[in-house]
Amino acid sequence: MGFPRRVAEHVGGGALAVARETGGIVVLAGQVLRALVPPKIDRRELVKALYKMGNRSVAIVVLTAFFAGGLMTLQTGPFVKRLGATSIAGWGAGYAVLREIGPILIALMFSGRVGANNTAELATMTVTEQLDGLRALSIDPVRFLIVPRVIAMIVTLVALTAIGDLIALQGASVVGHAMLDIEWSTMFHSFADNLKPYDFLHGIYKSMAFGVAIAISSCYFGVTVRGGAVGVGRAVNNAVVASAVSIMLLDFFITYLTG
Amino acid sequence: MTAPAVRLHDVHKRYGDRRVLDGVSLDVARGARVGLIGPAASGKSVLLKLACGLERADAGSVELLGEPLAGKAESELGALRKRVGMLFQNYALFDFLTVAGNVAFPLERRGGMAAADLAAQVAARLRAVGLAGSEDKQTSELSGGMKKRVGIARATVADAELVVYDEPTAGLDPVTTQKIYDLLAADQARTGATVLAVSSDVAALAQFVDDIAFLYRGRIIYRGPARTIADAPDPLVRQFVRGELAGPLEDKPAG
Repeated sequence: MGFPRRVAEHVGGGALAVARETGGIVVLAGQVLRALVPPKIDRRELVKALYKMGNRSVAIVVLTAFFAGGLMTLQTGPFVKRLGATSIAGWGAGYAVLREIGPILIALMFSGRVGANNTAELATMTVTEQLDGLRALSIDPVRFLIVPRVIAMIVTLVALTAIGDLIALQGASVVGHAMLDIEWSTMFHSFADNLKPYDFLHGIYKSMAFGVAIAISSCYFGVTVRGGAVGVGRAVNNAVVASAVSIMLLDFFITYLTG
Repeated sequence: MTAPAVRLHDVHKRYGDRRVLDGVSLDVARGARVGLIGPAASGKSVLLKLACGLERADAGSVELLGEPLAGKAESELGALRKRVGMLFQNYALFDFLTVAGNVAFPLERRGGMAAADLAAQVAARLRAVGLAGSEDKQTSELSGGMKKRVGIARATVADAELVVYDEPTAGLDPVTTQKIYDLLAADQARTGATVLAVSSDVAALAQFVDDIAFLYRGRIIYRGPARTIADAPDPLVRQFVRGELAGPLEDKPAG
């Protein structure tokens, strides 16, 4: 077999695998949407998922967002000071944080922490036949397990992004004041005068899209796992990679389409 | 004439390139107790899942409690499965529920039971499988044998019309095995349920079921009375049941 043929087979096989996984993710998304009509959601599962995914993620998001905001000021601060444009230091940091860094960073962290955990949990339930156990008791696993998790992940990620945005602006202000001697009031006015509500909403829309991508892919790889403990590890890995790729692609297209 | 509780006709099932079932036909009459044996990876668990509608056949027909499963939506299958109890090989206990929560689950889903009655029935069932006092334990705290018994309690608590057991006594000591089979027999006598059981412990299974079918390379190649299974006319079955090393048995799956 010639080299070109091997390359073609390799590329073709890879493309088919990606198409198969993408198709599976789309089918699962359809099943989730169908399960929402009428919206009969298991409240106990939803509350449990919201608590587990949201409450336990706040601390790490606060820490990350604070330093992300500070970092933006640290990077831009010396230049705006040199140019005597400290009045836009807050805008620079805020614009980057609200529109890009905040949603992306928090989504990637969320994917690594909550999405991976979700995949591992569902995958373990799959290999220990718990999903079949639910079906044997005439319970639809999509409606009972997946829909509450998908809703909880989207709601949680949006809430965490909103919290993270606020914390990041504070981080930017603290670093600006403590390390670059920029007045609190200068930073505040820089935010208030230059940032638009849409800058915040732009990031929130993105976090919704990221939440859907993380939730569906983490659930998909969890429920389609094959092959015991090794399979669980592989499923988690696939889910994290798929989520990260989806986040970047969605970010590009949302930014391109909505400015 | 009443339709059988389970009827499989010329059922085929593949997973990728691997042919698991290759034209299986099996009838289980209402109220009967039928055992299914066969070498490892011969498709016994797959057959049970097909019989309950948890898997779909690639070809052939499956009827459960008189209703054909082909073309049924998941919701319709769900309604049928409410009439079936199933013990899974890996227990399939829900780790998000306690022991009592697991056993109560089928009754809660069926509805129409007062909380006190439900708790009493769960406690009685756990007592019957020797797990009284374990109600509040998490499933992760249980040994394999205890998990198996919780699974049996969950499969039988709702008095299903058909109960399917996948390795009900695997991993249990001989005394507990006997106790479990006595319990299953008493339960079946009380409810009149149809039983389809898979087990590697052929001797113990033979005391519980009326008939035993032998699944080999994707087909049922023998079915006969459980009491005389060790003297079955088929040399493959005899070798398997007696555990003899020499003989015609090839220990590999179909496909």
